[in-house]
Amino acid sequence: MGGIIARLFGGIPRRGLILLGVLLLALIAAPLFAGSYLLTVLILILYFAYIGQAWNIMMGFAGQLSLGHALYVGLGAYTAAALYVHFGIGPWIGLLVAVPVAALAGAFIGFLAFRFRVGGVYFAILTIAVAEFARVGFDHLTWTKGSAGLFLPVAQYTHNDLWNLRGHPVMFYYILLTATVLALIGCRALLQSRMGYFWQAIREDEEAARSAGIDTFYYKMVAVVISAGMTSFAGVIYAFFYNNLFPEQVFHISRSIEIILGPIVGGVGTLFGPILGAFILTGLAETLSATLEGLGIDLPGAKQVFYGICLLLVIVALPDGVWPWLRKRIGLTERGS
Amino acid sequence: MSRKSQNSTRVSRRTFSAGLGAAGIVAGTAPFNIVRAQGTPLKVGVLLPRSGYQAGIGQDCQRGVDITAGILKDMGMPPLQLMNADTETNVEIARSRAEKLISEGAQLLVGAFDSGQSTAIAQVAEQKGIPYVINIAAAPPITEQGYKFVFRNFPTAGMILGGAFAAQKEIFAASSSVPKTAVFLHVNDTFGTAMKGGIGAVMPKFDMPYKIVETISYDPAARDLSVEISKAKATGADALIMVSRLNDAILLTRELVKQRWSPMAILSMGPGWYEDQYLKTLGKLSDGPLSFVPWYDPNKPLSKQLEAALAKAHAGVNLNTNHVYTFEALLVAADAYKRAGSTDPKALADAIRTTNITNNTSPGPGILFDAKGQNSSLKISGIQNRGGKLVTVAPKEAANAKAEWPLTPYDKRA
Repeated sequence: MGGIIARLFGGIPRRGLILLGVLLLALIAAPLFAGSYLLTVLILILYFAYIGQAWNIMMGFAGQLSLGHALYVGLGAYTAAALYVHFGIGPWIGLLVAVPVAALAGAFIGFLAFRFRVGGVYFAILTIAVAEFARVGFDHLTWTKGSAGLFLPVAQYTHNDLWNLRGHPVMFYYILLTATVLALIGCRALLQSRMGYFWQAIREDEEAARSAGIDTFYYKMVAVVISAGMTSFAGVIYAFFYNNLFPEQVFHISRSIEIILGPIVGGVGTLFGPILGAFILTGLAETLSATLEGLGIDLPGAKQVFYGICLLLVIVALPDGVWPWLRKRIGLTERGS
Repeated sequence: MSRKSQNSTRVSRRTFSAGLGAAGIVAGTAPFNIVRAQGTPLKVGVLLPRSGYQAGIGQDCQRGVDITAGILKDMGMPPLQLMNADTETNVEIARSRAEKLISEGAQLLVGAFDSGQSTAIAQVAEQKGIPYVINIAAAPPITEQGYKFVFRNFPTAGMILGGAFAAQKEIFAASSSVPKTAVFLHVNDTFGTAMKGGIGAVMPKFDMPYKIVETISYDPAARDLSVEISKAKATGADALIMVSRLNDAILLTRELVKQRWSPMAILSMGPGWYEDQYLKTLGKLSDGPLSFVPWYDPNKPLSKQLEAALAKAHAGVNLNTNHVYTFEALLVAADAYKRAGSTDPKALADAIRTTNITNNTSPGPGILFDAKGQNSSLKISGIQNRGGKLVTVAPKEAANAKAEWPLTPYDKRA
C-alpha cells in the first residue's frame, strides 16, 4: 500500500502537494461557509471537473477526440433513473447496470471506428452521430417516457438518504467531490501505468506506436470504455440531483461541447487541467454575471460570449491550456501533473 | 444576469424583517403589520430562457413581464420588485439561478417556460419554502409530486389535447358541414412525436366526426414539402390536422397554394400557423387556419388592457400565450401578496392556494388552484387568422368571432 501511495505522489514537488492539500481542505470545508447559491455553483464546477477528467482519458491521454460524450451522461442517467422509477432499484445498484451500458456503447463506437481505421475528424463525427441517434431513439422510447420526459419522484430533504440519493445538495456536493478526487488519483495512476505510456505513444504518433509493437486497437478501446464508464457515473448523479430527464436536453450536442470546454481551457492531456478549466469557466462566468448584475446591466447570452472569448484567448495565447502555463509560474514542473 | 427594476426602494429582506418585527413590538397589532408589508414591494424572481435555443420564446415571455407593472398598478395591486434571471435554456443554470435569486432575497419565483427547467426550479423552491408560480410548462408530473409551494397556471399536455378536441367539436356543432376525413401531418421532432402519441391516445375519447386516413411525418428542417402535400392531396381528405413549427407551416401553405389544394379546414394543434411571422410572411394567404392552443379570452376587460399595453410597448406584436401566461403568473403573485399582507413565504403560499381571480385574461372561470397547485379550470381556445390578426372562435364563452368555415380557397382570395 505504502508503495502504491509513494508511486502515486512520487515526483510531485512538495509545494504541489501542499497546494493540493490546501485546495482539498478548502473544498471539504466549503459547505460550512458557502450559501445555497455558491454551493450549487460548486456542484456544477465539480460535475464538469469530474466529467472533464473522464473525457480527458480519451482525448488527452489516448488522443481520440470525442464530441459526443453527452451520450454516456445520458445513458448513465436514463439507465439508473429508469431502474429506480420502474423497479425501485437504488442508484448505486443502478450504477452497476449504467456503467456497463455506457461502456458497451463506448465499445461499440470504438470497435466501429478503430476496426475500420476511422480516425481524427471522422471519429469525432461518429461520436456526434451516435449521440444524436441516442437522442432521437430516447425521444421515441416509451419505457423512458420519450420526449415527454422522465421524472423521478420528489426528493425529500428531511434527512439525507445516501442509498437512494435523495437529500440535500450538500450530500451531492460531497459525492461529486469524492468522485473528482478519486478520478484525479485514478487518472494519475493510469497515466503512470504501462497503459498510460502506451496511450501517450498512440496520441503522439499512432503509426510509430504500432511499429513499436503496441496493440493500438486494444489500448484505444480500453481508453474509450474507461472514459464512457466514468462519464456514466456523472449521468447517474445528474439524474438524481435534477430529477428530470429530457432527451432533447441530456443528449444535445451543446452538452457534449460543454463537457470539453473545461479540459480545453485547463489543458488537454494534463491531470489538473480539466479541474482548473471547470473552475475557470464556471467560476468566472458566475463572477461575470454578478459583475454585470452589480452594474445594472441585463445582458442575456453574455456567458456564451465570455466562453467564446476564453476559448479564443486560450487558443491564441496558451494553446496548451492554462494549467501548463500556471504550473511553470508556480514552480510545479513535474511532467503530467 | 439579474436586473432589479421597477422600484427604487432597495430594502434587503433582513432589514425589512427587522423593521417589521420592531413595528410589531411597538404597535402590538397584526393589522399594522399588514399595512407595513404592503408598502414594500414584493421581490419576485423571474426566470426565463432568454439565451440558448429557447431565447426567442424567453424574450417574448419577457415582453409580458415588461408590461406588467403599469397594469398591476391600475388594478390596485401592491408593487412588485422584479428580479430577472436568464436560465440559458439549461436545467442546471435554471436551478443555480433560482438559488441565486433566493439568496438575493426573492420572496417568490415565476417562470420558466420549459418543463425541465421548471422542475429544477420547483425543487429549489420546495426545499427553501419559497412559492413558485409556473407561467408555462405542460409536463403533468410537475404538479403530481406533492409540492406545497409550487403552482401552475397553465394547462397540462393532457388538458391541451382534450381541450383542443372539445373546441373543434364546438366549432363543428355550429356548422352545417364537417370534415369526414383528415390527413395528419406532423414534424418528427420531440414535440411533434409527443403530440402524435397524445393525439392517438386522446382522440378516440372524443368521438370526432372525422377519421384520420393518413399520417405523414416530415423533418422540421425540410426545405421542400411538395411530396408531403402531394401525398396528402391524393387522399382526397377534407381536412388537414397539423402539428408543425413556423418555417414548415409557411412552406406547407405555399405548397398548398402551388398545388391548388384548399382543404375544408386546416386544424393546427401547435405553433406555427398563428405566429406573427406566419401572418406577416403570407399576408392574405395566412387567413383561415384554425389553431387550438392555450390562449386568452379577448372579451375579458383585462385582456383588452394587456393588448393595449403590449401595442404601446411593442407595436406590431400580437398578444399571445407567452405574454398572457407570464403576465398572469405575476398577477397571481401580486394578488397573493395583497391578500397575505405579508412577504412571509408560507403566508404567500397559503394565499396562492386560495387564489380566486376572476378579473384575468386566460379563458375559463378564472385563476384558482386545486390541491395539487394546478389551475385545472383553464380552457383551450380555437383561434383563426383573419387579415393579419387573430380572432377567437372557441370556446363560445371566450369567442369574439364565428369561425369562417370552410376555408376560402387560396385561388379565390382577393
